[in-house]
Amino acid sequence: MGAGLTLTGRQLSWLRIKAVAKRHYYVLLRAPHRLFDVTIWPLVDVLLFGSIATFVNPAHSTAGRLAAGYLLSGILLWHVVYQSQIALATGFLEEAWTRNLLNLMVSPLREAEYVAGVVLFGMVKLFMGIAVVSLTALGFFAFNVTDLGIGLIPVAAVLLVVGWVIALFVIALVLRFGTGAEALAWGILFVVLPLSGVFYPIRALPWVLRPVAEALPSTHAFAAGRALFDGRGVLWGELGLALLGCVVGGAVTFLLHMLSTFRTRGYISRYT
Amino acid sequence: MRSRSNSRYAPRWPTTKSASRASPLGKKVREPTNFYFCHSGCVDTVVRTSGLTKRFGDVTAVDGVDLRVHVGERVALLGPNGAGKTTTLLMLLGVVAPDEGWIEVAGHRLPRGRSAAMAEVGFAAGYLPLPERLKVDEYLRFYGQLYGLPDPDIEAALDRFGVAQLARARGTDLSSGQRTLVGIVKAVLHGPRLLVLDEPTASLDPDVALRVRTGLQALCRDEGTTLLITSHNMVEVERMCDRVVFIASGRIVADGAPADVASRFGGADLESVFLRLAGRDVAERPFERTQETERPAG
Repeated sequence: MGAGLTLTGRQLSWLRIKAVAKRHYYVLLRAPHRLFDVTIWPLVDVLLFGSIATFVNPAHSTAGRLAAGYLLSGILLWHVVYQSQIALATGFLEEAWTRNLLNLMVSPLREAEYVAGVVLFGMVKLFMGIAVVSLTALGFFAFNVTDLGIGLIPVAAVLLVVGWVIALFVIALVLRFGTGAEALAWGILFVVLPLSGVFYPIRALPWVLRPVAEALPSTHAFAAGRALFDGRGVLWGELGLALLGCVVGGAVTFLLHMLSTFRTRGYISRYT
Repeated sequence: MRSRSNSRYAPRWPTTKSASRASPLGKKVREPTNFYFCHSGCVDTVVRTSGLTKRFGDVTAVDGVDLRVHVGERVALLGPNGAGKTTTLLMLLGVVAPDEGWIEVAGHRLPRGRSAAMAEVGFAAGYLPLPERLKVDEYLRFYGQLYGLPDPDIEAALDRFGVAQLARARGTDLSSGQRTLVGIVKAVLHGPRLLVLDEPTASLDPDVALRVRTGLQALCRDEGTTLLITSHNMVEVERMCDRVVFIASGRIVADGAPADVASRFGGADLESVFLRLAGRDVAERPFERTQETERPAG
C-alpha cells in the first residue's frame, strides 16, 4: 500500500476527501455547462425576482418594500438550498453518468469520505453561487445582503443542511431505482420551493397544503429568514424546528438501507 | 478448494507486516509476504470464501463456492457466459453482497473490513471506461490518493505498460485498448497484494495484449502480487496462470494447474475443457488444430 502506510487513519481519510473534491473540481473545469448552476441560474433568478420586486414596489410603499425584500432575501436563501442540494446530488450522478461507480466501490474509499469530498467542493460552488446572487442583488436592485445581519449565518446553515438532506434522499433513490430517478435531483426542488414559503408566509398557501408546508424543515428556516428582514431578530425556535425536521439521521439511514439493497440486488450491473 | 503443501508456500520473504522497500515505481511498498494477519491468526491465503451463494430471483448465480487463493498464485476463474464468474468477483470486491457464506480478503472479513481489504486489492475490467472529464494523469492521481499515495509516480506507472505518452490525454480521446491499459495501470498503481482483472485483454489487439501480459507477469514476479483473473482467452490463461478454477452454473467444477485440469477432462488444452464444460463437444471445433499450430511458443 505504499505511502499509505505512513499516513494515520485520519490523514488517509483527509487525503481521500481532498481527492474526491479535486475530482469534482476537474468536472466543473471541463464541463462549462455545469457553471450554469453557479453563475447563470443565480443571475437569472435574481433578475427575475428583483424585477418583480421592482414592479410590485413602484411607489415605495411599506407593503411593496416588504414584498420586494421577501422576494430578494427569499431567492438568496433559496440558493443556499439549491446549491447545496444540486452539488451533492449531481456530484453523485456524475459518477453514475461516467460509469465510475464500480471503480469507486472497489476502492478503499468509505461512503462518508465520498460524501464529505463532494460536500467540500459543493461548498466552493455554494459560495460562488451565493456571491453571484448577492452581487447581482446589490448591483441591480440595491439590495444589500449584509443588512440582514449576522443572524443570516444560522439561517443559511440550517438551509445548507436541508439541501444536503434532500440530496441524500435523491442519491438513495437513484441507488434504488437507477438513473431514471435522476429527475428528482432537480424536480424535487420545484416541489419544495412553493411549499416552503420561500417568498411568502405559508398562510398564503391553500389551506389544504399548509400542514404539508408546516412539516417541511425549510418552511421554518425561511420563516426565520423573513423575520430577519422584518427586523425581528433570529427566531431560534423556528430554526430549532427546522433542524429537528431535517431528520439527518433518517436520511443517512435511508441512504445506507438503499446502498445495502444496491449491494444485495447487484444493481451495480446498471452502471457497468 | 484444493490443499497445498506447506513447503511450497513457505514464506520467501520476511513476514513482518510493516516491512517496506522501494518499488520499481519509486514508492515505498511493503515487502511481499506469504502471510496475512487477521483475527483468526496467520494465514497464507489472500482470498477465502466459504459457501458463497448468490441468487437473483429464481436464478442461482453462484452456488456454494468455496475458494482459496494463496499468496503469490496466479489464478484464472473460467467458465461460460453466465457461469457466475463476474458475480463471484464482485462479491470478493464487496460490491455485491452474498446471500449465504462468507468472504475474507487479505485477512479482512467482508463487509465489515471492506475498506481495509480493498486497500490491498487492485481491480480493472475491460468494460470500464475512464471518467470522461479527467485526463489520464488526473485520473491516476485521484485513484492513487484514494489508496493513500499523496503523490504517485504516474509516469513510471504508465511507462511500465508502455503508455507514458498518454499522461495528458483525456479519457474520451483514448481508444478502448488504451483505456484498458490505463485501467490496469490504475489497478496496479498502489502495489496491491491482490490484482483482480475481469476480462482485461478482451478489447486489446495481440500486440497490446502481449504488453499487458508481460507487464503483469513482471509485476507478479517482482512484487509477489497475487493475480485473480477472468478471461475467455484460454491461450492467455495457460500462459499467465498457474491455476485455473472452472465455474459452471455457479459451482466450481474443476480446480488445479492448467495441464492437470486439461488431462483430467481428457482434453488437450483448456479450450477443450471449456467447451466440454459449456456442453459442447471438442469435435465441434473446426479450427482446433489451426489454433494450436498458430499458438506462439512461450
